[in-house]
Amino acid sequence: MSGAHATDSHAGHDHGHGHSHDHGHGHELPFWRKYIFSVDHKVIGVQYTITSLLFLLFGFALMWVMRFQLAYPGQPIPIIGKMLGASLVDSSGILIGNGYNAFGAMHGTIMVFLGIVPLAVGGFGNYVLPLQIGAPDMAFPRLNMASYWVYLPGGLIMLASFFTRDGAAQSGWTSYPPLSVVNIGGQTWWLIGMVFLITSSLLGSVNFIVTTVQLRVKGLSFFRLPFFVWAQLVTSFLLLLAFPPLEAAAVMQLMDRVAGTSFFMPGGLIVTDVVQNQYSGGGSPVLWQHLFWFLAHPEVYVLILPGLGIIAEVIANNTRKPLWGYKALVHSAIFLGFMSFIVWAHHMFMTGMGTTLSTFFQFTTMVISVPSVIILTCFIISLWGASIRYTVPMLFALSFLPMFAIGGLTGLPLGLTASDIHLHDTYYVIGHFHYVVAPGTIFAMFAGIYYWFPKVTGRKMSDLLGKIHWFFSFIFINGVFMPMFFQGMAGILRRQYDQSYQLHGASAQGLSMMASWSAWCLGLAQIPFIINFFYSAFAGKKVGKNPWEATTLEWSAPSPPPHGNFDAVPVVQCGPYEYSVPGRKSDYLPQNIAMEA
Amino acid sequence: MSDSAIIPHDVEPHPLTGMYNGKFGLWLFLASEVMLFGALFSSYVLLRTGAPEGTWPRGEDILNWKLAMLNTMFLITSSVTMVMAWAELKMNRLGKAKQMLAITFALAGAFMVVKYFEYTDKFHHYQVELLAPMAHDGHDVMKITGHNVKETEDSVSIEPDAHGADKSAKHAPITIERSKIKRVTNFGPAHSTFLAVYFTLTGLHGLHIVGGMVVIGYLIFAADRIWKWNPEKMVNRVECTGLYWHFVDLVWIFLFPVLYLL
Amino acid sequence: MMLLADAVSHYGNWLPPQLSTHGDKIDQLIFVLHVFMAALFFGWGVYFVYCLVKFRARSGHSATYEPVKGGASKMVEIAVIVFELIVLFALSMPVWADYKNKPPTEAENPLTVHVHSKQFEWQFHYCGPDGVFGRTDPKFISTSNFIGLDEDDPHAKDDLQFVNDCHLPTGRPIRMEIFARDVIHSLSIPTMRVKQDAIPGMRIPIWFTINKDATTAKVSEQMVQTFSLGRISWYRIRHHVAAQDYKNKAGDIILAKDKDGALGSNAAAGKEILQKLRDAGFTEISLRPSNPLEIVCAQLCGNNHYTMKAQLKTHTADEFEAWQAEEIKKKNTELEIEF
Repeated sequence: MSGAHATDSHAGHDHGHGHSHDHGHGHELPFWRKYIFSVDHKVIGVQYTITSLLFLLFGFALMWVMRFQLAYPGQPIPIIGKMLGASLVDSSGILIGNGYNAFGAMHGTIMVFLGIVPLAVGGFGNYVLPLQIGAPDMAFPRLNMASYWVYLPGGLIMLASFFTRDGAAQSGWTSYPPLSVVNIGGQTWWLIGMVFLITSSLLGSVNFIVTTVQLRVKGLSFFRLPFFVWAQLVTSFLLLLAFPPLEAAAVMQLMDRVAGTSFFMPGGLIVTDVVQNQYSGGGSPVLWQHLFWFLAHPEVYVLILPGLGIIAEVIANNTRKPLWGYKALVHSAIFLGFMSFIVWAHHMFMTGMGTTLSTFFQFTTMVISVPSVIILTCFIISLWGASIRYTVPMLFALSFLPMFAIGGLTGLPLGLTASDIHLHDTYYVIGHFHYVVAPGTIFAMFAGIYYWFPKVTGRKMSDLLGKIHWFFSFIFINGVFMPMFFQGMAGILRRQYDQSYQLHGASAQGLSMMASWSAWCLGLAQIPFIINFFYSAFAGKKVGKNPWEATTLEWSAPSPPPHGNFDAVPVVQCGPYEYSVPGRKSDYLPQNIAMEA
Repeated sequence: MSDSAIIPHDVEPHPLTGMYNGKFGLWLFLASEVMLFGALFSSYVLLRTGAPEGTWPRGEDILNWKLAMLNTMFLITSSVTMVMAWAELKMNRLGKAKQMLAITFALAGAFMVVKYFEYTDKFHHYQVELLAPMAHDGHDVMKITGHNVKETEDSVSIEPDAHGADKSAKHAPITIERSKIKRVTNFGPAHSTFLAVYFTLTGLHGLHIVGGMVVIGYLIFAADRIWKWNPEKMVNRVECTGLYWHFVDLVWIFLFPVLYLL
Repeated sequence: MMLLADAVSHYGNWLPPQLSTHGDKIDQLIFVLHVFMAALFFGWGVYFVYCLVKFRARSGHSATYEPVKGGASKMVEIAVIVFELIVLFALSMPVWADYKNKPPTEAENPLTVHVHSKQFEWQFHYCGPDGVFGRTDPKFISTSNFIGLDEDDPHAKDDLQFVNDCHLPTGRPIRMEIFARDVIHSLSIPTMRVKQDAIPGMRIPIWFTINKDATTAKVSEQMVQTFSLGRISWYRIRHHVAAQDYKNKAGDIILAKDKDGALGSNAAAGKEILQKLRDAGFTEISLRPSNPLEIVCAQLCGNNHYTMKAQLKTHTADEFEAWQAEEIKKKNTELEIEF
């Protein structure tokens, strides 16, 4: 049919496993419209999930190579060393400085922009949010499809830069000018890719906000929403308002590189002994930092909030009691979102900032730690008086809590300027943010995958493989990142091709062996997950609508839900976590009246 | 077809927000656009206040504010015709509405034409910056502006601009050795941070105008079909486009004085 | 403070040696924070593990719908906020304010050094006894005149320039003006707890004072360390020299005292030498860093960012003056010879 329809509602459905429902029109969509250019939020959610998981794996693989160089500086990379291009290795297969920096910059970029956010928001948000509010789809299904098809090319453009003569972008994921403007390599591709990714994100965030506000079913007031929905809502506001300054900055840096402007180029630069007279000068490198961090700080809350949302769902379900402090959780999430816009310059304490400005940002940074502490505390107190089921999602959710605590606590010495003098740009920072994102957010993502897999496919993942995956991932992920706090204390700086080159680094470089071997073992620990994921999708144990005995609305839809989601429009009767309500036979009260039986 | 009813509040306003989905979505989009242009304006402020005394040119010296004034008139009028298009639709007059949309489109096109001339004029105007003062036109200058630049490996020739009373008089081309030249550039974005900001801001704004024109063009082209299928949707689409258009106009209202007059 | 005691004299897996007058406060803040962090984590952790065990699902046990009273947690929350504010206002801000707002006064006779950072080296420009920096201009830059000093400027007669070699007096305030020539670098002296970004187009001052006793000679002595030959990695000791001669049974020297590079210039060569020592019957060796103090670059500045380091040598104030005078004499003799 033509594009004049608001939504294509024909008899297609989402995933090809499970049954199909004809919605009364008798049309079957062709394959390419059912599974490729689909406007169904569930198909799009799966597309985002698979694509982002592949990007995550690729970004992880980059780090395997980097960690070899860190543990064994100057040694040829085994197996693949001689296969990599001239922009990455020398003739004996040893990683070179440019290659190390390219891998480093792309690892960060891919993990943050191509991996986590698309998975957390594009994958989980897209799939689960409309179901949890009882909606038939997103408010703008075609916009939703567009957002995926702008994300994918953006990601591919960035990856394509590896195959150019000078290789990929190599000025850090932070792309500080003047280095990023004068450096060789695919920085221009990086900037163009960023414009695509930001556009995709913008389209998505508009969709999420309108959907959440306007498409909730009857009875689902704001304070009856699952915390997952609140987390996605706040995240969407962050994406909507924080990304545009980076888009502006990316355009400006692109113009500096391509059109010879001087937005970020001060006058009088002398690069490799050549006076850079072709630039007019008058620009400010610090301007880039302000614009970049104005996004990148809210971005880190974008990285954690959806994870917190997933953890909330899994904890409530597996403790069989309502979350403790639901209102505090919601208010904290909103406050966190608001505060995240006014802390950005704590990434810039060492740029020559005066005391007034740094005091302001130190203060706001201290304040923003409060809602995070409240959220973590609410989750931990939720365990009191519970009846804890140690399912695979719950294992990931529970281990998330102390890991997030370590990540959050180690932010404290970094957020205070005096201690930051020693710790800025050291491995302490890398340990800090990885604890929040890796055993933090990524564990939350795993929890979500194990939790919602039955809804998406109609089959459960293997518990045994899941537990093996969890156990070894937990051990080895700590093995990778815990040594980094010690390395940071010793003064080992970030982005160092050879950590032992500097005297203070040499003494703690040995810890890199532990981190590297843990990283490779962590990679191996993902094999049970990959096998489990694909095998169970086709041959896992079949389940019905609500295998976890959960209360929220998505569990009252069939597994997998058909196009349009629900057999009948849900009507909400209560809050999202009515578990173990006194005086009732079953230990949970579903939100949807129709589920009661 | 009744497919459109499947998404609630696609056309019917929501009791909480008082808006249908599309309108709410568009306001959110405009919020992000405010952040986008806001970031550029903030950068302008930061760069300008950070510039050493005397290095920041005045808009009215380099730019043609009269043409910009004309463009302002075009855009403001187009906002009016945009509203009128929506009003005509509300009064069930599709034909008149299409006319109003067409006038809006034409005014936007006129804006872009003026911009085209502004830009090309800048790209054909050159400046040679010297390493040491050189005698020219009776004084010692560090910069020579003009047209018809020809560059060779050893030298650059330029037809200098006329100064003084007889602006139309052409100077004969002069040739300057490379060794005396610091930099040759046209009055494009690379010229100075001021022009860099000018081109980025007006260029981005221009892209938004073109985007708007594409949508308005599509609405004119598909008006009959959409009106027949769902008249309320047509009204809403024109309303949303109008909101976007007013925003683009508003951005120009800020751009014009900041760049051309201050 | 047991935690820090070891750090004072050796580089290890915790804080590096601390040799400046303001650095102790920074280390104290880091220590206090980590005690607090550990206490909070431990507290949460105990509660957490208790819940995991006590409230596990089992037959006969069901969850409680009613929320537990939040009195205790509110107290903890408030205590955390109060603590953070105390740390911020009492421990961090004053240190930062001193670090930033109290430049040395004229009366304190600070030494001012201009530091130019470029890919991938540090250049140090001393103004000499006349206290005025000679004029510099890019057009004078050459391999021997890397800061572009205008030798015709009378003030430049007593100016000195070094690349990757910095000499500083102890016990006297030092003021560094940091410049960047091409991209953003960052001046970091880990042993002085000093870090400052070098941003092109900006001239950023920092100041600090080195502890009076922290001359390179004394520090070198303090840093002698014994390493067990059992499983030592060459990377750990690549910058070290032997504190004594090590001879084999025949009396030949395997490892000479204080000889730079005697431990090998790469891992393979190093492995050989260590093996020779083991073969000669040694189970441990005494080493010390050949250049114990370094200035490094803390901001990614290109493919050789990791190589951007300078050696720092500290002298007593008198020794420094003597050294400076010697260098000026050397430079003017050389210049005369040139002409």
